[in-house]
Amino acid sequence: MDELDLLKKDWKKDEDTKYPKLSYNELYNMILKKSSSIVKWIFIISLLEFTFWLFISFAFKDADFNKRFETYHAENIMVPFMVLGYLILAYFFYRFYMNYKIISATDSAKILMENILKTRRTVKQYVGFNLIYLAVSSFIVLAIKFNRDKEVISMIDSASSNGEIFKIYAITIIATCLILAVAIGVILGFYYLIYGILLKRLNKNYRELKRLEI
Amino acid sequence: MNKKLEHSFVEELEKNQNIVHKVCRIYTNNQEAHNDLFQEITIQLWKAYPKFRGDSKFSTWMYRVGLNTAITLYRKRKRSITTEDFSSFQYKIKSEPYDDTEEEQLKLLYKAVSQLNDIEKALVFLYLEDKNYKEISETLGISEVNARVKMNRVKTKLRTILNP
Repeated sequence: MDELDLLKKDWKKDEDTKYPKLSYNELYNMILKKSSSIVKWIFIISLLEFTFWLFISFAFKDADFNKRFETYHAENIMVPFMVLGYLILAYFFYRFYMNYKIISATDSAKILMENILKTRRTVKQYVGFNLIYLAVSSFIVLAIKFNRDKEVISMIDSASSNGEIFKIYAITIIATCLILAVAIGVILGFYYLIYGILLKRLNKNYRELKRLEI
Repeated sequence: MNKKLEHSFVEELEKNQNIVHKVCRIYTNNQEAHNDLFQEITIQLWKAYPKFRGDSKFSTWMYRVGLNTAITLYRKRKRSITTEDFSSFQYKIKSEPYDDTEEEQLKLLYKAVSQLNDIEKALVFLYLEDKNYKEISETLGISEVNARVKMNRVKTKLRTILNP
C-alpha cells in the first residue's frame, strides 16, 4: 500500500533526533513516582481505620457499660470532647489527602522530598494524637465514674470511713494506667505494622531521591 | 540487589526510550498526553521488569509492555482523549523541506491513523517499525494468521477513511 509506505518513510525519518531524549536522572525520577501510591495508601488506610472505630462505637452503643455511662448524664463533657476529636481527625484526613494530591502532581524531586518529609510528620502527629486522645478520654471517663457512678461513690464513702480511700484511688489509677499501657501498646503495634511499613518504603524513596540530588 | 536492578533497568530504558516515545506518538495527540503516557509506560515497565527474564530482547519486551499499557491501562483511564489536529503536535521533523502535497498527504495519513481503534493502531505501529508477522503476532499475543488478516483489514479501513 503506497500510503502506508509513505507513512513509514516519514516515520523512519530522523528517528534518532526527532524524539525527546530523557536523561538517566529524569527516567530514574519517573520510577520513583511510586511515592504517590504509598501516600495514597496512607490516606485510604486512615479512612478505613476511622470507619472501623466508628463501626465499633456504634456496635457497642447498646452495650451494658455504655447504657450505664448514659445514666451519669455527662453529655456536657463528653459531647464537646468527641466533637473536638472528630474535628481534629477531619483535619488529619484533609492533610493526608492534600499530601497525596501534592505528591501525585509534582515532577520535581525537591518538592517530592519535601512532601515525603511532610507526610511522615503528619503520620507521626496522627498516631500521637490518637494515643493522647485515648489516654485523655480514659481519664475523663474515670473521673466521671468517680464523681457520678452511685456504686463507685458508695464504695468510696465506705472506703473513706475505713481510712482506705488512698488505697482505692491508688489501685484504680494504677489499674487504669496498666490497661491503658497495654491498649496503647497494642495500638502502637498495629500502627507500627501498617504505617511503619508504608513509611519505611517512603523513607527508602526519600534516600534514593536524596542520593540523586547530590 | 534492588539498586542493581534499578540501575540496569534505567540504563536499558535510556538506551531504548525511543520505542516508548513512538508508542506515545501513535496513541496520543498532544504533548501533555504524550508525557502522561510515557510516564505510565515507564512505571509499568519498571513494575514488570523483575519478571523480564531476558528470553527476549529488552526492546522486544518493551514493545509488548508499552503497547499493552497504551491499549489497556491508558484506555481505561483516558477514555475521553480528543482527536485534535495532528499538526498541533510538534515533532522536530522538518530537517529537509517537504513537498507540499506530500506533507498534506502525511497529515491526512496521521489523522486517519488517529481514527483507528487501539488494536489497529498497534498493528500500524508495528508495521511502521518494520516488524514481520511473526514478531507482530508475538508482541500482540495473537496468531500469525490472525495478525495477517487483521493487518489487511486495517489497510482497507485506512483506505476507506482516506477515500470515503
